[in-house]
Amino acid sequence: MKAICLILGITICLWVSGAETKGFKFPEVTGWKKSGEIQTFTPKTLYEYINGAADLYLMYEVEELKVAEYQNEKKASVIVDVYRHKTPVHAFGIYSQERPPGGNFFDIGLQGYYEKGFFNFLMGPYYVKISATDTGTQDQEVLLSFAKKAAGNLGEKGKFPPLLASFPEKRKVENSETFIAKNFLGYPFLYSAFTADYELPDKKFKLFLIERSDKKELGNMIQRYLDQTGKTGKVAVEGRHTFSDPHHGEIDLCWKGHYIWGIINLNDLALRSNYLKLFEEELKKRK
Amino acid sequence: MHKKLIGRRDFMKSTLAGVGGLFFLPSSEWKHEIKIVESRGKEKKFVYRTLGKTGLKLPVINMGVMLTDNPSLIRAALDSGILLLDTAHGYMQGRNEETIGGVIKGRHRDSFYIATKIGLPQNRTTGLYLEGATTEEFLKRLDISLKRLGLDHVDILYQHGVSRKESVMYEPILKAFEQAKKAGKIRFSGVSTHSNEPEVIDAVTDSKIHDVILTAYTFKQKHYQEVKKAIARASAEGLGIVGMKAVRGAFQQQPTTQNIVASFKWILQDPNVHTVIAGFTTFEHLETDLAIMNDLTLTDQEKLELQKEASIQGLYCQGCRQCIGQCPEKLPIPDLMRAYMYTYDYRNVAHAQDLIGLLDLPNRVCEDCSFCRVKCAIDFNIPKKIRDVARLKDVPSLT
Ligand code: SF4
Ligand code: SF4
Repeated sequence: MKAICLILGITICLWVSGAETKGFKFPEVTGWKKSGEIQTFTPKTLYEYINGAADLYLMYEVEELKVAEYQNEKKASVIVDVYRHKTPVHAFGIYSQERPPGGNFFDIGLQGYYEKGFFNFLMGPYYVKISATDTGTQDQEVLLSFAKKAAGNLGEKGKFPPLLASFPEKRKVENSETFIAKNFLGYPFLYSAFTADYELPDKKFKLFLIERSDKKELGNMIQRYLDQTGKTGKVAVEGRHTFSDPHHGEIDLCWKGHYIWGIINLNDLALRSNYLKLFEEELKKRK
Repeated sequence: MHKKLIGRRDFMKSTLAGVGGLFFLPSSEWKHEIKIVESRGKEKKFVYRTLGKTGLKLPVINMGVMLTDNPSLIRAALDSGILLLDTAHGYMQGRNEETIGGVIKGRHRDSFYIATKIGLPQNRTTGLYLEGATTEEFLKRLDISLKRLGLDHVDILYQHGVSRKESVMYEPILKAFEQAKKAGKIRFSGVSTHSNEPEVIDAVTDSKIHDVILTAYTFKQKHYQEVKKAIARASAEGLGIVGMKAVRGAFQQQPTTQNIVASFKWILQDPNVHTVIAGFTTFEHLETDLAIMNDLTLTDQEKLELQKEASIQGLYCQGCRQCIGQCPEKLPIPDLMRAYMYTYDYRNVAHAQDLIGLLDLPNRVCEDCSFCRVKCAIDFNIPKKIRDVARLKDVPSLT
């Protein structure tokens, strides 16, 4: 036994990356015991745990995953996955990719939701996914108690990305906001975009917003988009641009200062102008 | 200092197939059909292979949807001539299937194929199913997936992420497949695997139950030749073979257009692979991936690209033996590099210990040299790796 521990000690300490989920303690829940070693995965080894889904997490700059498994006397099991991302915005990004807008939400961490068999929540740079097997009618209760304890061990709950507050409220679908780190709209030159869904009785469309501290980056995005949509020769300037995108149809996009904002999937020109204006007004309120 | 080398040869023959040696697969026996198709207003060359006994004729490049929630990109893939969309019950917590559902709504059901995967709780260490892995749960998840996709059946349903032969033969899931097939909810069944692939593929072949195998297959796998052998056997038995993770399976290098193309071509050199699923997230990469069908032959430049990538530090010793004779202490460096690979890449400490035991190393290794005289062909930091792995000789054996 000693030998096994020693070997595991050597190997585990060599596999773990330098950066660790500092100070995090997996929850202790009455009636539940950890059923194995805590596993640690790095960006290089994440494939071994979540297979093909790892690529998506890598797009959101995952730095480390820690996993603990628990069992109770009835052999039910709970797995707690704690993903640490580079920044809270990246953690929000991956959380928002998986969050169902109509979910059963709870105030655990910054926000969490329950579905039979699992509870996911967001907290600062952490995305925590808890899953349960064989917990029967106790499922929700068990998952909530693990989630509350795990959240209690992770420090500050953090805030949603402040830029989300600039999305016009009118007809916005609650909890539909996302952060797309890369390849927004399927283009490598568009990135770091926040989006939100809007719904009218007969229409569904999306608003998006990109903020960069370097205005040149935004100019480059517009320029590349102009080139992409066949408007080569046109120079990117601040203001409103309408693109006939071969994949997305007509897209309106405004560039002013450090922001680009726009609308996808909305043909109604008057409504488009209306929303672009509303967006601009909200952005003006930002300091 | 004595080196006991006798006995190692057999030991390594059985375990090291795949390291060094044959790097490029022969392209002689391709069985495919070439057609010029109308692809979003342009004429494009498409290469089709038949997915084993399913009889489905698929382009050799299809779409793994797991990385995108962009409906326009999925739409563009289908409009370009891609026929198979590959997703899973668990991707994006179900949002991936929903997005596909939105795209295929209204399209003729014969104009696309959908493959999804269902996983059930497994013990992470052993790869065996837990008690909650029941027929009912599997079928329940299938119904949820069908609802998200807006379909009454999927074309291929995989048992997701299998790493043990026992899991291939897991009764409750086999029952679920049988019931789902009877109910017309799936056309073909299969198994997906991304670790311990040879064992899983062999088990699927022997079981004679399934129609398709979805497997990780890349030159970055240290055991790719074993995977290749298992695939050949499966294919000969009529199983359809879908390759995945042709590009980033080992997360060693940011994909570039050049290495994406080369990696896909590499996997498609194998005539037993019927199609690969590409996880593109941009329109540009969709075009690049489709263009691979213009000519599947690896150019010299692409071969070079693959060699370069395979020799990135930390990947694995190429077995080139250039270091032989350079070390004044006559350390068996390639063997020690293999032990390192077992420990840190395979995570098979017992295996590494067996090998180190056979090497009869001195008490102090790499501790008395002021500098290392060995120049490794791929710039491994030889003494560091040796010191790390040689520690295992002081640890009591696991076996
Ligand atoms: S440091 Fe280099 S030269 Fe010295 S014993 Fe180790 S491998 Fe040989
Ligand atoms: S030179 Fe480097 S790559 Fe070649 S056999 Fe020696 S350790 Fe391996």
